[in-house]
Amino acid sequence: MNKVGADKMISVYWFVILLLVAGGIFAMVYVFYHQPYDVRELEANIMINKVADCLSSNGMLNYELIKDAEFSKEFKTNFLKKCHFNFDVEEKWESTQYYIEINFYKIEDSEKSVFEISEGNKNLISSCETQEDKEYDLLAKCVEKRFYSLEGNNQYLIKILSVVRKTEKNAK
Amino acid sequence: MIKIKNKSKRGNVLMENIVFIILNLIFLTILILFLLKQGGGAIILEQAYAKQIALLIDSAKPGAEIYLNMEKGKKVAEKNNVDFKDVVKINKNIVMVKLSEEGGYEYSFFNDVELDKPYPVDEETYRFKIVRYKDE
Repeated sequence: MNKVGADKMISVYWFVILLLVAGGIFAMVYVFYHQPYDVRELEANIMINKVADCLSSNGMLNYELIKDAEFSKEFKTNFLKKCHFNFDVEEKWESTQYYIEINFYKIEDSEKSVFEISEGNKNLISSCETQEDKEYDLLAKCVEKRFYSLEGNNQYLIKILSVVRKTEKNAK
Repeated sequence: MIKIKNKSKRGNVLMENIVFIILNLIFLTILILFLLKQGGGAIILEQAYAKQIALLIDSAKPGAEIYLNMEKGKKVAEKNNVDFKDVVKINKNIVMVKLSEEGGYEYSFFNDVELDKPYPVDEETYRFKIVRYKDE
């Protein structure tokens, strides 16, 4: 093969490499931009903050939460209204895409819950159990946080579990 | 005679190199344009804005006024003949962002609040005002 022939062969190889690089970049960009933004964890965190603000202010439990030295059943029944939540979602989903669970523990015994409030789609809890070791994008996102609050001389540990599904709009 | 042959050979090599460089430049330009188009497309921006607005509303309290810069969105909306004041709509607790005539993206928020109708306060900024909690 003479030099001109060899040069032309190199040019062909060069274009093959360029095409491969272009293909790779195209594939990466396609995968990156066709993956929806996953905001479920942010949503779950905001939800927890909102619940915490509703249950406790300046370190003291909401006065509506305890009536006559007992946790108020009325507060539990009307939790969504009292804490200003609306769990309606887009028409594409038939069931609620949120779940919230709040457990109150006395400081002496952080194993046995003394009061519980839960709202939303209870079926979503199974996603949290499945993801204890490893996270899966196609399952609902779970976030749990805890804080302490006072009511008179009693101190309570409050654990809040927030679950957001909305998988179709946040993961592929 | 030998000199002329050498000259034409050199000319050929130069021409080949120029064509090769031009083709490479065209290739890189197409690639960069493709990347820019992907990042600034209506579908991606609609999704980003809808989710951003929903999260902002979720974390806001009554009385809050939110100003959101939507410069990129405005450019895309104008290109697609959509009036900037019709880009964001809020129906009950669902945010709808529309940057093209056919498209649109919806995302719901869980904060049960009443909002003023969102509207652009200037060339590129949208204003969202949280008035009060519903049922209050």
